[in-house]
Amino acid sequence: MKDEYATFVRDRTRLLNGREVVLTLRDLTPGRKKYRGINVRAVVSQPPRPGEACLWVWSVVGLKDTSPYSIKIVKELPELFDAAPYSDFFEAMEKAERK
Amino acid sequence: MAHKDLRSFLTAIEASGDLIKIDDEVDWDQELCGIGRLSCERNGPAFLFNNIKDYAANWRILANPIAGWRRFAVGLGLPVDTPIRRLYEIYAEREQKLIPPIIVKDGPCKEVTIDERIDLFDLPVPMVHEGDGGRYLGTWDLVVSKDADSGWVNWGIYRFMVHNEHLLTGYPRPTSHLGKMFLEGYVPRQRFMPIAIAIGADIPSHLAAASTFRLAGNEAELAGGLGERPVGLIKCETSDLYVPATSEIVIEAEVYPHGVAQEGPYGEYPGYRSGEMGNAICARVTAITHRRNPILTVDTTGFMDSSAVTTSIAGAIAIRRRLEKHDVPVVEVYMPPEGAVHLAIVSVRRGGAATARKIVELLTARRALISKIIVVDEDVDVFNIAAVLHAFATKCHPARGTHIHRYEGRANALTPAYSLEERVARAGASVTFDATWPPEWPREMVPIRATLDSMYSPDVQRRVLERWNALGLQSQGRN
Repeated sequence: MKDEYATFVRDRTRLLNGREVVLTLRDLTPGRKKYRGINVRAVVSQPPRPGEACLWVWSVVGLKDTSPYSIKIVKELPELFDAAPYSDFFEAMEKAERK
Repeated sequence: MAHKDLRSFLTAIEASGDLIKIDDEVDWDQELCGIGRLSCERNGPAFLFNNIKDYAANWRILANPIAGWRRFAVGLGLPVDTPIRRLYEIYAEREQKLIPPIIVKDGPCKEVTIDERIDLFDLPVPMVHEGDGGRYLGTWDLVVSKDADSGWVNWGIYRFMVHNEHLLTGYPRPTSHLGKMFLEGYVPRQRFMPIAIAIGADIPSHLAAASTFRLAGNEAELAGGLGERPVGLIKCETSDLYVPATSEIVIEAEVYPHGVAQEGPYGEYPGYRSGEMGNAICARVTAITHRRNPILTVDTTGFMDSSAVTTSIAGAIAIRRRLEKHDVPVVEVYMPPEGAVHLAIVSVRRGGAATARKIVELLTARRALISKIIVVDEDVDVFNIAAVLHAFATKCHPARGTHIHRYEGRANALTPAYSLEERVARAGASVTFDATWPPEWPREMVPIRATLDSMYSPDVQRRVLERWNALGLQSQGRN
């Protein structure tokens, strides 16, 4: 497991509803592969839970939350979400979450 | 004649004092592009970074090949201090003299070929701004695509972001030529669309890709015209697309006809990061070829980036041609760099409300990238912003002089003024500010401008200017 990730969200209330959510994460491990993207099913917590990876949350205009979350990855998902090109990415993630 | 490749262009701008080389280690993660960003904001030089953190010494990054009129002039093979109006004239002349490309069998972009174990992280792709959705590979690029039915080949500058080792996500607008080709020719048939992303080609090729060229136009011919020499094209390894043979790097890929992944947000040419993220296309990389010691070019997008000159000049000339075609009595068109490709200034021989309305309707008919148009009389120099602002502030009637045209489905989703809902629906508006005298006003009632050239006799003007020059004040003026 990596130590630190970033994610972009349109609606923060999605994150902390106590159940698994589908997200795209950016791996913040320093080095050549920093910002590599992965799609996951995960549980997010705030305040951060000990032993879990740190998660920084950014808004859709790239504004960073001041306090970190923690994330427990349940499963890594395929690199593409099931939706037509140019369709809404956040809706595609929510659809994947309901599966 | 323009320089044959990026490297000879770099030699020229180094000689003119418009390139700084940095040999100290610089971080690809924001620092490098922060330097480029500041340079854009201060009208500074291009930067060539020779030592990039985490990467071998053979990889280099060039920030902002063309951001500012001096490098634009050199890019066309002209003297570095060519006046802006002259650049407009030369661009318009060359645009009319298309030169077909030539096909070559070998070229520098094939010096190294990677078609197995592709890993985009082997390239020093920079993190352009803090808070971007990822690392952007395509900022100063040239994306080649082909129409599924007609075989028409399009070149455009479109942004692409690295998702993982082999997957790119990108945002060529749905209304762009590439977007139109993809949505109409490939998606309905669920076919992958081959693309090639050429990075660091000769400057005229990138200028052609940045241009507002007609549908079904051949940008390779336009590049030849702009550079006054044919562009050498070479076939890709994994598709039948052709790219400029002197390109520093070529990424060959296929766009998925179905599926989405995160793209953006990204600090874009209007000078903002607007939250347009997520409505993108995805492409899997099939091969990478590059020159030895390759130079990855990056446009540190934002206020006063390359589009402030490249897209603006091509857009302004396209606007003039469109207005002429529809019998608008246009004299000149200028898109000032500070307007971020959102503002056009149009001078006309005969203005008034009907002309102003016609202009805004014509310029938003297919896609609407321009949101503000100032129309001035022909005695106002469109390249003189002080004169334009004076005309706008004084001659544009606050009620009668404002003509708003609304539309849906073709607005610019990158326009920061639009709400999220408007961006999703691509709904927006453009406005013409009519800063011309109403043609129905009797001539004897039209106010006379209180300037030397309007309110003094020719004889007095001549004597004043002679005295001014005799006092050694030639260079003291706002123009």
